[in-house]
Amino acid sequence: MIEKTPFANIVTYAILFVALTLVLVPFWIVICASTQSVAQVNAVPFSFVPGGEMLKNYAAAWQRADLGLALFNSFVMAGLVTSGKIAVSALSAFAIVYFRSRWGMVFFWLVFMTLMLPLEVRVVPTYNIAADAFQPFRLLIQTLTGIEVGIDWNLLNTYSGLTLPLVATATGTFLFRQFFMTVPDELAEAARMDGSGPWRFFVDILLPLSRTNMLALATILFADTWNQYLWPRLMVTDPSYSTAMTALRALRPSENGLPDWNVTNAGALIIVLPPLIVVAVLQRWFVRGLIATEK
Amino acid sequence: MLTKIFGAASALALLAGLSGTAQAAPVKFEFWHGLSGDLGERVQEACTKFNASQTDYEINCVSQGAYDTNLQNTIAAYRAKKHPAITQVYDAGTLDLMMSNAFVPAKKLMADSGYKIDWDNYFPGIANYFATAKGELQSFPFNSSTAVFYYNADAFKKAGITDAPKTWEQVATDARKLKDAGFECPMAINFDPWFSLDQFSAIHNQPIATQANGYKGLDAEVVFNKTKVVDEIKFWKKQADEKLFVVKTKALGMDPIPAFSSQTCQMAMSSIADHGTVGKTIPAGVEWHVAMLPVFEGTERQKSLVGGASLWVMKDRPEAEYKGAAAFLNFIAQPDMVEWWSTVTGYIPVTKTGFQAMKANGFYDKPQFKGRELAIESLSFTEPSDNTRGIRLGNYTQIRKEFSTALEAIFMQNADVQTSLDEAAARSNTLLRRFEKTYAGQTLN
Amino acid sequence: MKRVVFKSRWVPAVAALPQLLLIFLFFYWPAVSVMNWAFTLEPAFGGAGERIFVGWENFTSVFADTQYWNSVRVSLIFACSSTFITLALALVLALAVDRQLKGSKFFRFFYIWPYALAGPAVGTAFLFILSPERGLMAIVNAAHPDFWNPAKYGSHAMILIITCFVWKWVGYCFIFLLAGLQSIPRSLTEAAAMDGSGPLRRAIDIQIPMLTPTLFLLLILIATESFVGKDTYGIVDRTTYGGPNNATNVMVFNIVAKAFEGLDYSGAAAQSLMVIAIIMVFTFVQFRFVERRVHYR
Repeated sequence: MIEKTPFANIVTYAILFVALTLVLVPFWIVICASTQSVAQVNAVPFSFVPGGEMLKNYAAAWQRADLGLALFNSFVMAGLVTSGKIAVSALSAFAIVYFRSRWGMVFFWLVFMTLMLPLEVRVVPTYNIAADAFQPFRLLIQTLTGIEVGIDWNLLNTYSGLTLPLVATATGTFLFRQFFMTVPDELAEAARMDGSGPWRFFVDILLPLSRTNMLALATILFADTWNQYLWPRLMVTDPSYSTAMTALRALRPSENGLPDWNVTNAGALIIVLPPLIVVAVLQRWFVRGLIATEK
Repeated sequence: MLTKIFGAASALALLAGLSGTAQAAPVKFEFWHGLSGDLGERVQEACTKFNASQTDYEINCVSQGAYDTNLQNTIAAYRAKKHPAITQVYDAGTLDLMMSNAFVPAKKLMADSGYKIDWDNYFPGIANYFATAKGELQSFPFNSSTAVFYYNADAFKKAGITDAPKTWEQVATDARKLKDAGFECPMAINFDPWFSLDQFSAIHNQPIATQANGYKGLDAEVVFNKTKVVDEIKFWKKQADEKLFVVKTKALGMDPIPAFSSQTCQMAMSSIADHGTVGKTIPAGVEWHVAMLPVFEGTERQKSLVGGASLWVMKDRPEAEYKGAAAFLNFIAQPDMVEWWSTVTGYIPVTKTGFQAMKANGFYDKPQFKGRELAIESLSFTEPSDNTRGIRLGNYTQIRKEFSTALEAIFMQNADVQTSLDEAAARSNTLLRRFEKTYAGQTLN
Repeated sequence: MKRVVFKSRWVPAVAALPQLLLIFLFFYWPAVSVMNWAFTLEPAFGGAGERIFVGWENFTSVFADTQYWNSVRVSLIFACSSTFITLALALVLALAVDRQLKGSKFFRFFYIWPYALAGPAVGTAFLFILSPERGLMAIVNAAHPDFWNPAKYGSHAMILIITCFVWKWVGYCFIFLLAGLQSIPRSLTEAAAMDGSGPLRRAIDIQIPMLTPTLFLLLILIATESFVGKDTYGIVDRTTYGGPNNATNVMVFNIVAKAFEGLDYSGAAAQSLMVIAIIMVFTFVQFRFVERRVHYR
């Protein structure tokens, strides 16, 4: 800026520092608490210095919530949703942008409607079909052909049950739609002149061009899926499918037990680390993805 | 994507089919329970003992973390046909199970599997909670408890109190003495209706609901806003206002039992199942005892209610699993297992022979277990009657929630006692009518 | 719209098929299928006895339930305050960072961090940090007993969950607003500076008006998120559990508690359908606005 505004600068810095403190202090308290002993963590006043029981607490948390398995499941779940959603939404955006048909608009609407309905809102309806997700197809086949098909498809305790309802949302579709609209028309025209079909154009030109968008979308989807809580909680009755976020429940100090908040905090830190790393390290992509998906 | 998953699913189904046809291996079946932490490990130990005792069956015990989660997950799994052979359901969920048509009655299961069980061996004070009005057991009493009164005898001495309080009036006087002796929290209370509603009503011979607490029909209505419960809450509230009774909940930092064992509070009510925990966590050398729950002066004391959970065998499992389930249930009912289970947990023996065996062994004379027999005494203080047999109300989990919400309003926000309880009762009756309508056409047996 | 389009019937159909299948299976079919529950009384374990058609009874009993209206009220208070505070703080931060003083990038780097954390995790942490008898607030409570007690006072509990939500979402809004500010031509603000208007004046006269579209977009996003989003459920579930005395029993929490703890699938289904209907209408209205923006870009 050209002007000199010493007063405004001081105020600005004051705001920036206060905000930074408010962001970081909770992190610091949790880190401190996770390294203290039970007595220290419950002491008044709270001590803002790390204690010496870090390894013990982290090991206790790891064991109490079976975090090895939980983190693995979370990685699988987040990986499947991320890749699935990118594939599905790139395809459907391709269909919306590069073809014109009277069904196009209907499709667009159907997809758009789903945008504002997070899983939390439709959890009861989705739970309703969880025991038998194949039912609509079975009804369809039966009415069309008269054949009764004896296939069940049950979402409980399966990776498909954990992931597919999350893949279904349309946020990614809109990112790709936005991006495809900015791809110069000449590219598609040239492809058509060459006689290569739409699939060739999609695979050879459109996808390579979207690489940065995919990475940006992937960072968001990863963090978002990792942080899912309610759905895994309902869809998992077999502990071997439990995810990191649902493991938080096991970490809270137990009924009538010791108030061992040090272990709780240690476990919580382990659980939030993967998405935090993604956001901190890949911040450029993450921010780009955020802005692109929501606009 | 979809085809992949369908492929995987059918491959899995194939695998499952194959393992089902291979007969050589032991029959595996699942048992879900709601205990966690120390108690959860003890259940696991019981399962390990069963597996080591024979080779035909292999039980897989899965902790779902808490009673209510276990019920929710059992329901989800039952709907998806992935339910366990045995599940543990807490007292409040009993009627939900009874009406579900999703279980095999205890008697039928054992008869089909060729076990001769002396059903009269179960303490009537326990069994009636889980039996039909005619007395047929539907599920297996497992971890049973009742509420007792814990007090710190060292603190009592300092305050010049000699005996355990028998009445609420004495509790108040003792609390005053403790307060004067410098104890900040004489008596810990919480909002758990199990003490203030269930147990209080039973030992004071008050109905919680009409129709014999629901045993005689689904058209029961709660009446806790018209019984001595109202006096009790008013009495508690008065003591709380004078800071003689102190509310201790997890949200406020500490439940009554940790408050008691950390010597923050000198008197508390809790389950006898916590007897072991208190013994382990209270500093060594501190003298503490349990007593039966206090009653109001002039009350003819009745038996208390059983708490804890029972084991239900679920319908629609392969035939072979039922044989395994029956074997397991028979195994844990053996006197030596009953004794082991009561020793390591604090739950009471559910059969008369189990209790006799433990008494004969001198179990209750050992200092660390002294007082646990009071639970049995409390449970069999009188013959079960309409008011003390149990509670057979639909949606009872929610009714308890309404009641504890009312207590929250009364103790934390100084809401009027009668108004709050009236509201809770009205809301509970709405829940009951809904439950009745859901199961219209079915009769309670 | 594109000038050049491919001509094919089956290619777009195939490309759209996976998405269509998924939204059919996990949005539209469940919404239809759940009518089964919403117009009958579904027993907990299903299947027992004949399902009885009860008409609108599930809906009317929801309307007659004071607890339901309480949850609507609580949700509105939570959503309005959260949205307002989040946007206001984010705007201040964005304006501050946009002044591009030395070290701005450093601050920006950290501001987005909380957004990476899940609602339940934030809740777990703040439950400890702001608990009345340990952590930060115990110090204040030691001097002024009962100054802060979310387990006792409904208003404190509400402040607790709003704090969790705001802490997490400010960084997110900040990113958008900063991007919006940076797209305002420098020449505009510089011209104003030469006219002698200070930073605050310029923010009010130029920057905030230019940000209106972004602010409006964020308003919708955050309002929806705080009203029905996953963080709202996760935070309440891990901190206040709807209490004390239902003071933080927000709608999403109420529905889930009704269905899975109260085992009242029918009542919960009716509530869900009502929320879905409200949101669909809301989306329908919003649709035109967003579409216009897209064309304008």
